[in-house]
Amino acid sequence: MTTSPFAVRMLGITKRFPGVVALDDVTLEVRAGEVHAICGENGAGKSTLMKILSGVYQPDAGVLEVNGRDTRFTGTRDAERAGIAIIHQELALVEDLPVAANVFLGRERRGVLGLLDDRSMAQECAALFSQLDCAVDPGDRTGNLRVGDQQLVEIAKALSLDASIVVMDEPTSALTEAESARLERTIQRLVAQGTTILYISHKMDEVFRLADRITVLRDGRHVKTVDTTATTPREITGWMVGRDIAGHDLHGSRLRGEKLLEVRGLCLPWPEHPRGYRLKEISFDLHAGEIVGIAGLMGAGRTELLEVLFGAGEDTWSGTIELQGKPVRFRHPREACAARVAMVTEDRKRLGLFPDLDVAGNVSLCSLHEALRLGLVSRAAEEQLAAGPVREMGVKTPGLHAAITGLSGGNQQKCIIGRWLLTEPEVLLLDDPTRGIDVGAKAELYSLIDGLCRQGLGVILTSSELPELLTLADRILVLAEGRLTAEFSRAEATEARIMEAATAG
Amino acid sequence: MTPPTPPRSAPPAEVATAAPAGGTALRLRRSTWFGMRPAEWALVAAILLAVLLTGLVDSNHSYFRLPWQSLTDILRNTALLGIFALGATVVIIAGGIDLSSGSMIALSGTIAATTMLALAPKEIMAFKAVGPAVVGVGVLAALVTGFLVGTLHTWLITAVRLPPFIATLATLVGLRSFARGLCESCTHAVVGTKSAQINVSDPIFKVIRDNVWIPVTVFALLALFTWLLLTRTVLGRHIHALGGNEQAARLAGIRTENVKWFAYCFGAMTAALAGLFYVANESVAAPVNQGRGHELNAIAAAVVGGCSLSGGVGTVPGTVLGAIFLRVVIDAVSKIIKTGADVYEGLIVGVVVVIAVTFSQLGALAKGGTRLLPGALGLCAIPTLALLAGAIAAMTAGRDAGIATGIGALCLLGLLRMWESRRSAK
Repeated sequence: MTTSPFAVRMLGITKRFPGVVALDDVTLEVRAGEVHAICGENGAGKSTLMKILSGVYQPDAGVLEVNGRDTRFTGTRDAERAGIAIIHQELALVEDLPVAANVFLGRERRGVLGLLDDRSMAQECAALFSQLDCAVDPGDRTGNLRVGDQQLVEIAKALSLDASIVVMDEPTSALTEAESARLERTIQRLVAQGTTILYISHKMDEVFRLADRITVLRDGRHVKTVDTTATTPREITGWMVGRDIAGHDLHGSRLRGEKLLEVRGLCLPWPEHPRGYRLKEISFDLHAGEIVGIAGLMGAGRTELLEVLFGAGEDTWSGTIELQGKPVRFRHPREACAARVAMVTEDRKRLGLFPDLDVAGNVSLCSLHEALRLGLVSRAAEEQLAAGPVREMGVKTPGLHAAITGLSGGNQQKCIIGRWLLTEPEVLLLDDPTRGIDVGAKAELYSLIDGLCRQGLGVILTSSELPELLTLADRILVLAEGRLTAEFSRAEATEARIMEAATAG
Repeated sequence: MTPPTPPRSAPPAEVATAAPAGGTALRLRRSTWFGMRPAEWALVAAILLAVLLTGLVDSNHSYFRLPWQSLTDILRNTALLGIFALGATVVIIAGGIDLSSGSMIALSGTIAATTMLALAPKEIMAFKAVGPAVVGVGVLAALVTGFLVGTLHTWLITAVRLPPFIATLATLVGLRSFARGLCESCTHAVVGTKSAQINVSDPIFKVIRDNVWIPVTVFALLALFTWLLLTRTVLGRHIHALGGNEQAARLAGIRTENVKWFAYCFGAMTAALAGLFYVANESVAAPVNQGRGHELNAIAAAVVGGCSLSGGVGTVPGTVLGAIFLRVVIDAVSKIIKTGADVYEGLIVGVVVVIAVTFSQLGALAKGGTRLLPGALGLCAIPTLALLAGAIAAMTAGRDAGIATGIGALCLLGLLRMWESRRSAK
């Protein structure tokens, strides 16, 4: 069919977002009929590249060729017409509709009088599933299916579009082993039918079983494209993380103090998931004047762990947590606050910021009772309260009463850290504090966190960026799928070793 | 006080010079003028304009002939609406909605009346005074009922996890029916005959009815209290935080369910208070009709006053002005077209809300390039709006005026549509 040996050629693709270059001159060539894996750390640009391929984003520079033809997508519909289907990490299905309706969503078949022809859609849907060799009833409510089956619905949708190129973005992250194996068989069947597969995954074993070739991205740049037979998993992970660690070494000569926190056998169940648990048998200590880093891929349980420590989780957990020798069981963040534990949440916008409060209001929120005069909040006292951290941390703001939403990400994050510092915490939990923050602000936050630690705080830091942990942490714990798979001291830790532990299992 | 602080990376005009004592903190002047925002001053202007227009257009010249009576009418209606609009404001800022306040008004009056009936059946039936103690117990019972209803709402919302809209929709329908049932069974039990209303003729209620300054003072004090609460207390800040970002509020250690508990109780108790004034005004507790539909007026006053239904945003001065504006416009229409205000009240409230909120978004519409009349929807909206305008004009000012208004609206909207099409073509 194709006149070109390449199903997809993306040449010199550049994509900028405000403050970040997500993709910098990336070239990707995918041969027709191959399984091409794309590997990279979180934030390496994999998803952005795939969103350009599927028409969600338009590149700022570069050329896109599909089946040898120069193309320019202005929307996902264009990409669908060119035969490209993408199966996102977060499935895009309407849970309340039956399976067949989801497969044909937006392209419904119509029969007499223009009414919906459910029967022909269901029949065609059933045919697609038998082609995939799996038993999903087209009439089932989609939300009742297991995640693995929902993924098959997406694949069936791709097939019904006659897609010749299917992109799968970390498809097995939510699957059991049996489901993953079935998905692998499905992929092999698709390839046998001549479909080209782009496969994004962290899991080296899968990549090496499935892929013909592997492309590695790092920091928005193309590192290498190699034949799977000519490389090893270790080499790939090396390329994924092998950048120069930016910035300076901050962790030296900290004074480790008394033990603040002792976690033993912490388990957090996850009943509705095949894995059954979010966290399993986690044990570790935190001392004053120490930064413990927690590494792990998305969904490994980093946030869940911090939420348990902060009393913010909804589910009940088992195990013991001792704070300065006393067992604690926080049921609400309020209790954690009172015990001098503070948490800076990931996803500032959703979980941290109050867009309708000004800078002062955002900073003073947790310690507003200190600004009471005769039972009423005194403006002047509140300003003085908020001015402290704003000044000390050098928050760049036009004023205390400026809108918080007008500040840059780094300055917003400083305000939130300031909010918690006003509560005078002893344990500070930082959940991916530098996500979406530009490089300069990151360096400032690093020295800020280092300074806090030197003042005697115990800090637990999670990050999706390994260099950040290596820069800041005294010890690094690695989580993989809810289990603690490794603990490295500062001297032992390397990016490759952490990555290996994080992709284990 | 202190020398000016140099502005940091900000337009200098926005940086004020005052800093707290001893501090070098930066301060940004709030965009207020004599303590009120520009939108609130616009409301003041709109109120004055409405009064002026009524004075000029009203052929009976009632504002000139009977200034005192006109003023007391507006004041009483505004105070009654404002009392529970303040409650609605707190609930809306906390990110919720209370649809039940109209029914709460009916229930509150009924509770007060049935309590008094139970304590002093002879006096009530004989339209006589029941004494301050009995009135006090009745009033207290009504306010406690408000607290209980607020608690029920919070329980439904936080423990059963119903959306606030559903929970208070259920009580909107349920409480009025409950109040009527209560009224009938109490009258049946005490007097022997079922009645859907109870007359209340105690002199205390008469004093309240005849003295407009009582509801106005209560409203003013309540507004002051609510204003202090929202701007100067920790709880008030937590209400704003809850409405602005509920998840973040919880993660900041705020007991969000307790804040909601306060908000819904405040909403229901202000409605209960308003219910007592309605009973005094009409000398009767009538659960079937008292306060019917008023919940939407309260929400409208809050929204016209600048509350955002997505929560976190709103002010007490805004709501007070919103309530005044609504009542002034309703009064204006009833004066100008000489029918009872009740006939067109709903229509006026609806139109005022749409226009007020549209005006607040005009800037975004003009800037963002979004169209007011896009595509086929816009084409169909043009005759719809023109018909509506024409029909309203025909009902209020006669057939010819209706036709003229309809055609005029059609032309204006057509021109707007053409202008928008040309702009987007560019």
